[in-house]
Amino acid sequence: MRVKKMLAAGMAVTMAASVALSGCSSSAKTGADATSAGAITESGSSTGESKAENEIKKPDKITIMVNSTVTTKANNRDAFEKRWEELTGIDLEIIQPDHDAYFDVLGQSFASGPENWPDVIILNGSYYTGYAEEGALWDMTEAWENSELKASGRVTGEDVIEATKIDGKLYGFPDARRGGCLTYVKKKWLDNCGLEAPTTYEEYLNMLKAFTEGDPDGNGINGDTYGVSASGLMGAKGGDPSSNYLPEFYQDAQPNFVRGEDGIWYDGFTKENFKGALERLRDAYSKGYIDKESLTNGTKDCRNKFYEDKFGVFTYWAGTWASNLKNNLEANGKDGELIPLKPIKEVGTYEEGTAPVWAITSACENPEGVFKYFIESMLDGGDMQMLWSYGVEDVHWSTKAETVLDKTYAAGEFHTRESLEQPGTQYTKQHLDPTLAIATWENDPGKDTVKEEAKVSQKIFNENCHQAIIIPSTEVMATYNGDLTTLKNSIVADVVVQGLSIDAAYERFEKEGGAEWSKLIVDSLNELGSSK
Amino acid sequence: MKKKATAFDYGLMIIFVLISLIMIIPIYKVLIDSLDLKTAYGMKLFPEQFGFAGYISVFTNPTLYRPFLVSCFTTIVGTFTGLTIATLGAYVLIQWKMPGRTFFANMLLFTMIFSGGMIPTYLVMKAIHITNTLLVVILMPAINVYNIVLMRNFFEGIPASLFESAEIDGCSPMGVFLKIVLPLSKAALTAIGLMYAVSYWNDYTHYKLYITNDNLYNFQMKLRSVIMGSDLPQAIGGATENTVKNAAVIVAILPFMIIYPFCQKYFIQGVNIGAVKE
Amino acid sequence: MNTKKKGPAAKAAGSNKRPLLVSLRYYKGFYLMFLPVLAFAIVFNYLPMFGIRYAFYSYKGIKEPVFVGLAHFEKMMKMSGFWNAFGNTITLSVVKLLLNTFTAVALSLMLNEMKSATFKKITQTIVYLPHFMSWVVTASVFTLILSPTSAGLVNSILIKLGILKEGIYFLADKSWWRTMFYGINVWKDTGWGTIIFIATLSGINPELYEAAAMDGAGRWNKLRFITMPALNNTIITVLILNLAKVMNLFESVFVMQNDAVIQVSDVLHTYIYTQTFNSGALPDYGYTTAVGLTASLVGCVFVMVCNKASHKVRGRGIV
Repeated sequence: MRVKKMLAAGMAVTMAASVALSGCSSSAKTGADATSAGAITESGSSTGESKAENEIKKPDKITIMVNSTVTTKANNRDAFEKRWEELTGIDLEIIQPDHDAYFDVLGQSFASGPENWPDVIILNGSYYTGYAEEGALWDMTEAWENSELKASGRVTGEDVIEATKIDGKLYGFPDARRGGCLTYVKKKWLDNCGLEAPTTYEEYLNMLKAFTEGDPDGNGINGDTYGVSASGLMGAKGGDPSSNYLPEFYQDAQPNFVRGEDGIWYDGFTKENFKGALERLRDAYSKGYIDKESLTNGTKDCRNKFYEDKFGVFTYWAGTWASNLKNNLEANGKDGELIPLKPIKEVGTYEEGTAPVWAITSACENPEGVFKYFIESMLDGGDMQMLWSYGVEDVHWSTKAETVLDKTYAAGEFHTRESLEQPGTQYTKQHLDPTLAIATWENDPGKDTVKEEAKVSQKIFNENCHQAIIIPSTEVMATYNGDLTTLKNSIVADVVVQGLSIDAAYERFEKEGGAEWSKLIVDSLNELGSSK
Repeated sequence: MKKKATAFDYGLMIIFVLISLIMIIPIYKVLIDSLDLKTAYGMKLFPEQFGFAGYISVFTNPTLYRPFLVSCFTTIVGTFTGLTIATLGAYVLIQWKMPGRTFFANMLLFTMIFSGGMIPTYLVMKAIHITNTLLVVILMPAINVYNIVLMRNFFEGIPASLFESAEIDGCSPMGVFLKIVLPLSKAALTAIGLMYAVSYWNDYTHYKLYITNDNLYNFQMKLRSVIMGSDLPQAIGGATENTVKNAAVIVAILPFMIIYPFCQKYFIQGVNIGAVKE
Repeated sequence: MNTKKKGPAAKAAGSNKRPLLVSLRYYKGFYLMFLPVLAFAIVFNYLPMFGIRYAFYSYKGIKEPVFVGLAHFEKMMKMSGFWNAFGNTITLSVVKLLLNTFTAVALSLMLNEMKSATFKKITQTIVYLPHFMSWVVTASVFTLILSPTSAGLVNSILIKLGILKEGIYFLADKSWWRTMFYGINVWKDTGWGTIIFIATLSGINPELYEAAAMDGAGRWNKLRFITMPALNNTIITVLILNLAKVMNLFESVFVMQNDAVIQVSDVLHTYIYTQTFNSGALPDYGYTTAVGLTASLVGCVFVMVCNKASHKVRGRGIV
């Protein structure tokens, strides 16, 4: 008891000091009052006891470099940091560059020598494979295999972890699924056209036809709408390849490198089924089913057009975005009811992108300790998971009786607070999206706060998705893939928008070196597989 | 100047109205969208549902106050530093007979064409311990060879007789610089000062590369995260994400809309050399 | 004007030939004044230039750089994408530069002729506003204005006037994209470009105009004999200074580029960008540096040629 009291007193002092030091920042900080301090010390001491049994040494200090998927300074990261330190007794240093510049700043830190490398970093896509290949990351396969988390049986996302392995080795830990895009259809539009949600490509195309030529929005004018819009014909510029906004047209065709069931790599672009996809896209585009401006659309343009009832079918992120789309449609005075489609027969399953990972750098002195106390603890199903999911009590969430924006909550009712960075909105999550976390969490207090439409769309997606595989990087790929991708994109645009014939398209692919580069890269990928 | 307006003048006016229209239409689109609570993709003459919610949401955002002060501070101090460097450099560059002048000139020109690149620059900044301080964003953009050469161009226009008479009066180089060059270059100082001020105000590349401390971010960085942030979670106080973004764009233009008319007075008056000359 | 070209300070400095030591002593105040400029240039420009050596190394920012000689340059020369980007960079930026300078000068002259001060002020304020829109916002607004659908202002006007039957997808059409690119650049930077010319014009002694008017010179002659000579120096300086930067073209192209027009729009820095982000591997910093260095060398040639030309025509270089 005495320990608790002392801790509580110490807490109060540091808290007061931090409030004083942070000066002009918002008053919400002071919300962490005595009662919460009490609660914190209780959990703090309990984790302290459990630590004694472990032989893995606890690190004194952990330095992390993160992007703004972790609570930002403007959202009171200080409170987050302090709570984390209380729960573990480890000194945490957070370096959080501007979101756009994260990989630039990370690169700069790595270039300035291992003594400047953080212990833990967030990586995704080719940065993950690239850093791993350069030997900058610690191999955590064993740590994961022997972890309490794995033994606990709470992990639901073993497939995600498997998909993150490079050559059977795990260099980064995905704490949550990536999520992905599924196709939403405006219900009112379907009703106005007397259609059911499509289950085959034929029905899908039929629906697009009705949306384009008929009067789905009921404004009395035929043909002032169209079926579907997308940002880019091959996924958003610079976005990850899995953000394919036109899956119904691509179906089983892939523009990128794929490993067949026999374990042999091939370039999807050179396969017969890709020509089919190109034909489908070209036809639909020329008939006006696909937004004429798809090439120049940003994702924001697509959303705005969707809100304005220009088109009725939109492939976009499952989960929270289901609510966002609905809210924005309603704010615009349109009907907000959306039907998240199960993948049509020809699509089979939606693709889920590879998740961003937490990686430990090879400069870290005590990687086992960092894995246990920093990464593994994130999904502990208790206080730590609470912190990573919803943030700090009475800063980011609360159970007090109060009114947040226009909603009133009774005492004991869990709710998130108003965002500090974007007043007028309520927090949904901090770092971990509870609906995407790869481990079950019995006591998730926010279970019921997730909006119905978000839950439904996420559920449909999760039940109908497959994991994208990681494409390893090779020297040959680094040399040619940039040019190859540019050429592929240019050819697809020629076919779909300019109506170039498929034969002429592949002739160009051959002539401008695409076929050769493609073959070189495929060979290098297969060599990689056979040599190991 | 007091002549009657001719057909030529009216012609000019019509051209100006047309030019202004072309210039304003795209901005007008942003303005209308920022005042429209409904999201509109197409062009509209007037907002469909008029409201200030977008602006209220930007201005009541407490996380923007501090960056605003940071911006004011760095812009003022930076413009002053930049003008000091530019005027000193330019003044030395008009000393045509000075030994080494050509070397200095070429040395400056060289920096316009060749650069070390992102990572090496970072390593140097780190080595001299100015990363994560406001010094890096104030000092780095202060040396701008483009501005130095333009400034030199203006200094060339100062009549030689003034330098001679000042020298006869026993003025040191610094004295001539302070007593003659600067007072005679108001238009140049305003124009180039404005260029510095705008680059300091709009700067975000230096911030995002060299500063990881949120407390030192400027207004532009924060506005960018409002404008670019594709993750605005839901409708904000009655305004849709689109309204808020457009409001942020207008707010970013605002300061210089206000400042510019004050600068104009120096352009129109110009350097009244006639009055200084005998 | 002619007397000025020699530079006033040259005269102040007295006779042409002087022993070096005397000269050095005479100019010591100036050297002192140049010191801060020198210090800034060394710290912020010259020290980081050690990084140019990476053009000859393979370096991903993690392991020690490995010397590869001219390998990056060899690869570059082999890739058709590089040459395409190289040509586009020169065309796009040189045309853009000439157009922007021309429109800015024309507008400044027109503003200078404007008698109504209020009119002048209002126009000036309006034309310089576009400079403050970021490229991203500019691109999204113009994508809308140039949209091929009924939402597009330009296409709907052309269709209403009966010039077109069907909207043109200006930004995704290889034959239109460059025109649009130049146009949007002119829109964005003309007003801002006038600032430097207007400041120069305001430096012209009004007595000159009055004297010319007494001699019976009309608008045209005043423009030809007084205004233009005063502006020439600035125009040439601005042009050449910008030539040094022509190879840096990036953001304005990047935001307006799309898959359909890559052949006419890809420039060196967007080429580097796609190399970096589509390669599926960690970017080789050495290759990026090599492409950048090539761009710099080309810029250097540009400037040297212009400097020579400037020497020939005006008797001195640009700096």
